[in-house]
Amino acid sequence: MIDRLINGLFRVYILLAILFILMPILTLVVFSFNINRHPRLPWSEFSFIWYEAMWNDPAMQSGFVNSLIVAACVAVIATFIGFCTAYLDYRFRFRGKIAILAIFFMPPTIPIVILGMVFLVYLAKIGLFGELYSVVIGHVAYCAPFAMALVRMRLAQMDENLEAAAWNLGASEWTTIREIIIPFTRPAIIAALFLTMAVSFDEYMIAWFVSGLNETLPARILAVLQGQVTPQINAVGSVVFVISISLVLVAQFVLLVRRPQGSR
Amino acid sequence: MKNHGNKSNRKGIARRDVLKGGAAVAAAATTSMFLPRYGSAQDGVLNLLAWPGWGHPDTVGPFEAKHGVKVQVKEYAGGEPMLALANSSPPGTFDVILTDAEYVQMLRAGDLIVELDPNDYPFEDYWPNYQRFPLHWDGDTLYSVMVRFGYLGLSYNMEQYTPKQLTSYSALWEEGAAGKVGFFDWYLPSMGCLSLYNGNKSPFDIDEEAFGKLRETMNSLAPQVAGYYSYANTYSSLANGQVWLIPGIGEWLTLGLRKDGVPVNTHIPDEGGIQWTESFSIARGAQSPELANEFIKWMASPEGQVRCALRPGNETGIASKKGWEKLNADHPVEAEWLRMRLDKRNMMDEWNEGKIVIRRLPFQQTIEDWTQAWAEMKSV
Amino acid sequence: MSIQSEARGPPSGSRGPYWFGLFWPAPSVSWQMAFFVAPLCLLVAITFWKVANFQLSADFTTANWVSMYSAGYFWDAFLYTLFLAAVTTVLISIIAFPCAYALAFKVSPATRRLGVFFLLTPFFTSFIVRVYSWQVILSNDGILNSGFGAVGLGPFNMLNNSFSTIVGFFTLAFPLVILLHLLSLSNVDRSIIEAAHNLRCGRVMTVFLIIVPAARVGLTLAACFAFLLSFGEYLSPSLLGGSRPPTLSVLLVDTVKSGNHWPKASVIAITMIVTLTLILFAAVKFAYHKSPGADRD
Repeated sequence: MIDRLINGLFRVYILLAILFILMPILTLVVFSFNINRHPRLPWSEFSFIWYEAMWNDPAMQSGFVNSLIVAACVAVIATFIGFCTAYLDYRFRFRGKIAILAIFFMPPTIPIVILGMVFLVYLAKIGLFGELYSVVIGHVAYCAPFAMALVRMRLAQMDENLEAAAWNLGASEWTTIREIIIPFTRPAIIAALFLTMAVSFDEYMIAWFVSGLNETLPARILAVLQGQVTPQINAVGSVVFVISISLVLVAQFVLLVRRPQGSR
Repeated sequence: MKNHGNKSNRKGIARRDVLKGGAAVAAAATTSMFLPRYGSAQDGVLNLLAWPGWGHPDTVGPFEAKHGVKVQVKEYAGGEPMLALANSSPPGTFDVILTDAEYVQMLRAGDLIVELDPNDYPFEDYWPNYQRFPLHWDGDTLYSVMVRFGYLGLSYNMEQYTPKQLTSYSALWEEGAAGKVGFFDWYLPSMGCLSLYNGNKSPFDIDEEAFGKLRETMNSLAPQVAGYYSYANTYSSLANGQVWLIPGIGEWLTLGLRKDGVPVNTHIPDEGGIQWTESFSIARGAQSPELANEFIKWMASPEGQVRCALRPGNETGIASKKGWEKLNADHPVEAEWLRMRLDKRNMMDEWNEGKIVIRRLPFQQTIEDWTQAWAEMKSV
Repeated sequence: MSIQSEARGPPSGSRGPYWFGLFWPAPSVSWQMAFFVAPLCLLVAITFWKVANFQLSADFTTANWVSMYSAGYFWDAFLYTLFLAAVTTVLISIIAFPCAYALAFKVSPATRRLGVFFLLTPFFTSFIVRVYSWQVILSNDGILNSGFGAVGLGPFNMLNNSFSTIVGFFTLAFPLVILLHLLSLSNVDRSIIEAAHNLRCGRVMTVFLIIVPAARVGLTLAACFAFLLSFGEYLSPSLLGGSRPPTLSVLLVDTVKSGNHWPKASVIAITMIVTLTLILFAAVKFAYHKSPGADRD
């Protein structure tokens, strides 16, 4: 009896926590359909005008495209660097490894507002400021550790003798990477690609500082938010939310379907 | 691995194909990243550095259509961010810079704008006091063409206050205003209004003693303050009832809100108000200086001036008398809101009565002194 | 540098440079040197530079350090930021733990999956937009106050104070902390929990004597993340807190915006980095070293 009560209370607790987390998301979706420019209650009138405004705003469109390009590049580069570093940590022991890894993991521990400022000053000094690749440069340093962590966790699950067996059979170290390591870590590599892409796609501070005229979507949203009052932001937020959630659901579905035929 | 079974080999090929596809996508993405996007040496684009909203189709649409170009706007919120952007961008990034009058001299000091030919622009259509606006000229040399102006005073919630209660900025210190005072987070107009309250006739040209007093005034007001807001948050804080009084802003903000049904207005207290102006300059190294010149000419014409006055979400006064006449003829209702009716008491009367001072940069202290005092007030 | 294969390398026959071994550190070392270490060094150098007419010029002056460190508002912001981040960390840890505990031990796997799904959703919505949404919820005629108004309460001032700032920090860190707690709880060996029950250890006692110590590393790391994220967050204190009083990140952006003063902003940045590093170092030391009794792994 008491057990049931306690379990019930726990369920309510979880529900409240999730409600807190979902509240801003639900609000933004609801108010994206409100005709009033200044979101306040009472709710005035149902309308699609903010979606139309978003659709017709060239800055939003180019921001969206910019974000996709940046996210794709960041995912590829950061995952590559992360993979190399993960294998480095897994396979080798040498003096200075701790130092390399410590520096490697440092960017995410620095507040992004500082990173944004640092990159702006530095990239402007060396003449790489204000282009899309400036954002990529900033995001890779920030995202690579996440990719590294995912691949490293996967490598930790690998049987150490697998590589040795391949060498004994005459495979070169490069071949072993191609035939053993990459296939084994593939789920982690794919996860890393998605994660770094997601992190880059949503990152606003570095992008805001260094993108100059080539704003990414979050940088554009931040500029709009500081610059003018328009519930377009709610519309954009809702659309991005729906797109990302659908991607996640599709990914989940694909994984579920694929699982029966031989997962590791 | 050569001796290994076919199976793994086939898998390997498939995987390589996938990797190749991925590499192609990445390569395509990377290439497109290095292609020129906006601005850089691209025809048919006029790059404008301006306050938010200047790229609105209602404002620049006819110009774009007439010249077959796109007006691309990089937005800023505040004179100092504008200077930072103008200084840190390579030459040729911007064609036209819109700025407030007091920053024209700073742009000149940084050699960021070029001389203009006064004969290109219809100054004879302007109100007399705007034909040779002091901060835009250096002797007989013109650097900037004025388009819009407005007054800054005390903006208030009409359900809480009437203009009669706001004859002095001292209303900010009253008990009822505790926690209901807000600020637009820009030191210059905010401190300017408080300097007026202190009785400084030229609020930006004050000696060390007066500056010390100004800091005392600021710090004594700080406990009343609910927040220091960004451009957009200033709108929402007034709109959602978070604050009732904001000094240092004006109808550029409250008019748009009022049209949206929010009960807010701006009053100029007896101590006086401050005038802001916006003007266009041509950037040094502009990619298309002729187009830039055409743009400014159009904005100074009666038609362009009316569109400046009615810029959606940010309606304000304009400098051209011909523009006023056209506005009165074509949009009498809007002219009434904007207090630009030629047959009634209007914005020009306050100027003529001497209630308004021009906003300038600090004279006897550095900008840093003032921003530091502002930072100090914010942390009280 | 000399790179050695871990004990289990292949029999190496060839002479010359060990290309394979040199390849792996190359990407991270070269990238981080060019685009992280070098910028950081520049940041340190800039603190000694000066700004004239909105432009940076190299110099060697300690004026920026002196003027920043002697400014009262800098230390006010520093203490306020530390205070906010500490309070947020404690609150998030306390509030998140029961939620993760319930998800780990008290619900069916299906419910757990659903819960994790909802915990993941915020990661797919722009954080900026979520913060902006809180304005609509918390403002004086916002959703919450309308609700309170309907039952004759309020309106309550919920914006532009520490409360709303902390709500912003929660928006950023709360889901992450629950997930990290959940992760470390699911690694706790269930047999020791059963053993504790068999030894008549009470429910609450089990949690505090068995589960929390066993999951300590994960819980501390989660707290680190909460601290880290809230210490440097900019949007919550500026958009929800009304910059009043400013936190270090607000002060940093203000310093850059008003007058382009990069050197002073760099002083703030370095102070933040050093503070964070010290605190994280202490926390990690606490998590891994001072382990009481039976040390697993």
